[in-house]
Amino acid sequence: MSNLSLDPLLLAVAAPLSLAVAIVLGLPKRWVMKLAYAGFAVPALTALWAWWSFGDAAKESHGYAFLSSYSTGLDGFGIGLKLGLNGISLPLFVLAGIVGLAAGLYAIQSGAERMKTYLALLLVMQAGLMGMFASVDVAFFYLFHEMALIPTFIMVGIWGGRDRSYAAMTMTIYLTLGAMLSLLGLIAIYAKSGASSFDLMALRDTLASSPLGEVTQKHIYGLLLFGFGILVSLWPFHSWAPLGYGAAPSSAAMLHAGVLKKFGLYGLVQIALPILPLGALHWSHGLAVLAAVGNVVVIGLVTMAQRDLKQMVGYSSVMHMGYAFLGIAAGSVLGAGGVVMLMVGHGLSVALLFLLSTSIHRRVHTFDMDQMGGLAPRAPVLAALFLVATFASIGLPGFANFWGELPIFFALWSFSHALTVVALTGTVISAVYGLRAVAKVFFGRPSASFTRLCATQPPPDIGWSEKLPALVLVAAMVFIGLWPRSLSTGIDRALAGEPAAVVANR
Amino acid sequence: MTPLHTALLVLLAPLGSAALITLFLGRRPALASAVSVAAAALVAAGALWLALGGARFADSLEWLRFGSFSVRIGFKVDDLAALMLSVVGVVGLCVHVFSLGYMRDDSARSRYYGGLSIFMFSMTGIVLADNLFMMFIFWELVGFSSYFLIGHWNAKASAADAAKKAFIVNRVGDFGLLLGIILCYWTNGTVSLSALGEGHGLAHVAYSRLIPLLLFCGAVGKSAQLPLQVWLPDAMEGPTPVSALIHAATMVAAGVYMLCRINVLMVPQAAEVIAWVGTLTALYAALCAVTQRDIKKVLAYSTISQLGYMVAAFGLGSVGAAMFHLTTHAFFKALLFLGSGSVIVACHHEQDIFRMGGLKARMPLTFWAFTVGVAAIAGVPFLSGFFSKDAILALAYDNNPAVFAVLALTAVLTAFYMLRLWKIVFLGAPRSEPVEHAHEGGISLTSPLVLLAALSAVGGYRGLYPRAFDGVLSQVPEASGTAFAAVLATSVAVLVVGAGAALAFYRTDGADALDQRFPAVFGFLTSLRASFDLAYDYYVAKVQQRAAMVLNFLDLVGLAGAVVRGLAGVTEVAGFGARSLHTGRLSNYVYWFLGGVVILWAFAAGVL
Repeated sequence: MSNLSLDPLLLAVAAPLSLAVAIVLGLPKRWVMKLAYAGFAVPALTALWAWWSFGDAAKESHGYAFLSSYSTGLDGFGIGLKLGLNGISLPLFVLAGIVGLAAGLYAIQSGAERMKTYLALLLVMQAGLMGMFASVDVAFFYLFHEMALIPTFIMVGIWGGRDRSYAAMTMTIYLTLGAMLSLLGLIAIYAKSGASSFDLMALRDTLASSPLGEVTQKHIYGLLLFGFGILVSLWPFHSWAPLGYGAAPSSAAMLHAGVLKKFGLYGLVQIALPILPLGALHWSHGLAVLAAVGNVVVIGLVTMAQRDLKQMVGYSSVMHMGYAFLGIAAGSVLGAGGVVMLMVGHGLSVALLFLLSTSIHRRVHTFDMDQMGGLAPRAPVLAALFLVATFASIGLPGFANFWGELPIFFALWSFSHALTVVALTGTVISAVYGLRAVAKVFFGRPSASFTRLCATQPPPDIGWSEKLPALVLVAAMVFIGLWPRSLSTGIDRALAGEPAAVVANR
Repeated sequence: MTPLHTALLVLLAPLGSAALITLFLGRRPALASAVSVAAAALVAAGALWLALGGARFADSLEWLRFGSFSVRIGFKVDDLAALMLSVVGVVGLCVHVFSLGYMRDDSARSRYYGGLSIFMFSMTGIVLADNLFMMFIFWELVGFSSYFLIGHWNAKASAADAAKKAFIVNRVGDFGLLLGIILCYWTNGTVSLSALGEGHGLAHVAYSRLIPLLLFCGAVGKSAQLPLQVWLPDAMEGPTPVSALIHAATMVAAGVYMLCRINVLMVPQAAEVIAWVGTLTALYAALCAVTQRDIKKVLAYSTISQLGYMVAAFGLGSVGAAMFHLTTHAFFKALLFLGSGSVIVACHHEQDIFRMGGLKARMPLTFWAFTVGVAAIAGVPFLSGFFSKDAILALAYDNNPAVFAVLALTAVLTAFYMLRLWKIVFLGAPRSEPVEHAHEGGISLTSPLVLLAALSAVGGYRGLYPRAFDGVLSQVPEASGTAFAAVLATSVAVLVVGAGAALAFYRTDGADALDQRFPAVFGFLTSLRASFDLAYDYYVAKVQQRAAMVLNFLDLVGLAGAVVRGLAGVTEVAGFGARSLHTGRLSNYVYWFLGGVVILWAFAAGVL
């Protein structure tokens, strides 16, 4: 590949990263605030460009477009920076770009203390996220993930809310552990495959001609499943999520819950399912039971019991990850396709919910939903946006999430009838906690404390600085909701012909 | 314009209106109402043009595909869809026009009209859908618009609660509906209505019964049948035009329409269950209606009861009878609701019938229109309800004597509670201050009443309908010979007994005669009405919420951590209670955790 021409995917990583470096090197604050817009806009625009041109772009190899590779000096280990997008990584690359833009815009107007450092960390995170989904090389996929993960811990620890040090520590322990286990799994694939390369294409080619033995697959998939599972809050390894998100500053929560968390699911769909089909088959039943009973039903009920708005959003996110795991357990093109759609839909809606939770907090000065009420007449636009986010998140058609949930339910039926029935109860459970939250925050009479607050400092409705990032997310949710083919065609092509399909037709 | 383009216009005009209002007209209520009414007019015109023009077609487009799973969005316009579309268009336009007057002083008119347009979009989507996926999508969307409009006055906690309840109860029904669609897809390999119509010989006998019953669950929720009827009376918290359009004429009838759409999947065993659910709902809701004091709640229970008739008619095997009653009911129930809206506006939002009275002289047009509606629903001969109810009674007489008996009894009750309402609201003297000064509203309030009254009066003559609807209306059963005489005699007797009893029994003195003279009966009916809500409230508060609290507690004390660490070492569990783990022992903690995960993994992998 030519290294001379401008490589858009590399630009999406380099732009935010170089801006972060410039900030650390002492870029004046007035420049920082202006350039930050560009730092978040460039990846988003790149992502939209890639989305727009992907259908017609030449698929150079293995269904990947926009391929480029750079020598890293680690060729001896089979590690090279290889960037490209296929039908599975494209939707997530788009997700990362859009959520990153929204989180960036929200951060710029947030008035956080030590703003320069805050933005620098977010930009590093954004660079990591873009790189993570653009990497064809498994080692770089992992490294970019770490690059995005470490700023998260720091942001929770410094800018976090209540219990931030405890939350930061718990998050660090769980997520570091999850990352370690998944790294072990990825290294095991590298070692056992004999491809002497971390290049996913090389790994796939090698393993297609000489697949790993069933026992090896079983163990490696197990490592990946538990590693990724912790990172994606598979029950019962989820405790870090509501705690961490409850404490995290909003932009960090948006980027982590919306995008970074998808690392594990993406790893399972893009790497583990195709090259370890027998391993996936071995673990599928256990995984499906944990996800359906644990994530969907148990955590769904736990979500109902929450009084803290942000924790409720955190728990609801854990619950929705259950659907994603069910799609993976189903092991078919339909299930995996649903998982990719759900990752995008969930990422957009959960980011919007975290954003709006913070906007609500600014107006009512609490996250305790029992202390709220009657906000809708005072902030009708905020109410409308929160309603949209809630209905998107509970799977209303017309929003992206629906196109994730629907295929997953259909795929699940051919995997397990009983678990389909269990998982479907989630549609009722999520309606209960979602609409309860809307009613508690926005409808009815204001609480006594909120009435007092309104007397002294009446809360304004949200202005453009908060509305714009929210509308970016809403636009993406609605566009995908109305025109799912814009993503599903590419996903379907990428999944078709994979060994995963063999599992479905066993 | 081709029929396909017209269908697209009918579907997308209200969506465009909703988008326009949401994005640009939030603070321009006059313009918002104009846009919304214009969209409704387009829907009505397009619907009638499609229906009467005789265009019948099916067309679809792929929306999403994974492997062999394909979701298509498409139209199937046949006589059934044409009839339903016409009803939605005509009643929808009436309600939009009525809203111009009814909601004139509302502070959130733009939001209201945006909601109405979203509803029109969703409802036409259900009607036009050519497959169950698409029907489900729009089914959920009407649920959302219903939630949105019931909760229009969301500063009232009761309205917000009613909206929430409506959506959640419907989701319970949709749980079954979606499961039914999943089963239908995997059993038949398709969810296209046309393809299902061509396919025969279902693979699994068990599923052939289960599929229609699961799909029926969706109708139980949407059409408020037992045991999911509880949301509809509460939904009266919404503005009255919304009650007329969504919670009487169209959306709640979508359940019946959906059943007619999937008629090809029906098997006798499932149909019998459906017939009985409808019959019992009809009786139960009629009993509830007798004790209501709120004018809209009487009509709400009456709606549930009439939907029961339609569901029973479908269960007894006649799409024609079900759709015929759906059509006439849409006319006279929309008329009754809009009439009650006219009364409510005139009485400054008084809804208690015992505080009304004497409105006959003060609001003559509303009185006469309402009277036509009451006569139609009560089954006065030669009005629309008489013919459609007769068709259902004749059908029951031929097929199931027990159902016939219950439905005939329900008809007595129908005449009874409707005449009670009519007498108490309109006759006698005014019983409260605002009622004394009540007067007729403007033309936007009265003109829809006149149109709907005309339709309610003549809507039963099938000869008046264009031939375009023959595919449905020619299937309306007609009794002949002795059955004809028996059914006719029953209808007339039922009317005379029910109406006569109500007129003789109730007085216009501001008290409920039943409560005064037969308190035991009144008490029984009241508790019968409340029993479902009590049971559900008990479940929500005592079972569901407690389970949630217990699970939350377990989760908080670190179920996850405890399980994982418990495998590694009891000592760590003992120390977990304190949050003193922050300092010093971090590496230790990670170590135990790692050990636990590895052991759990080894155990699960079968190594241990």
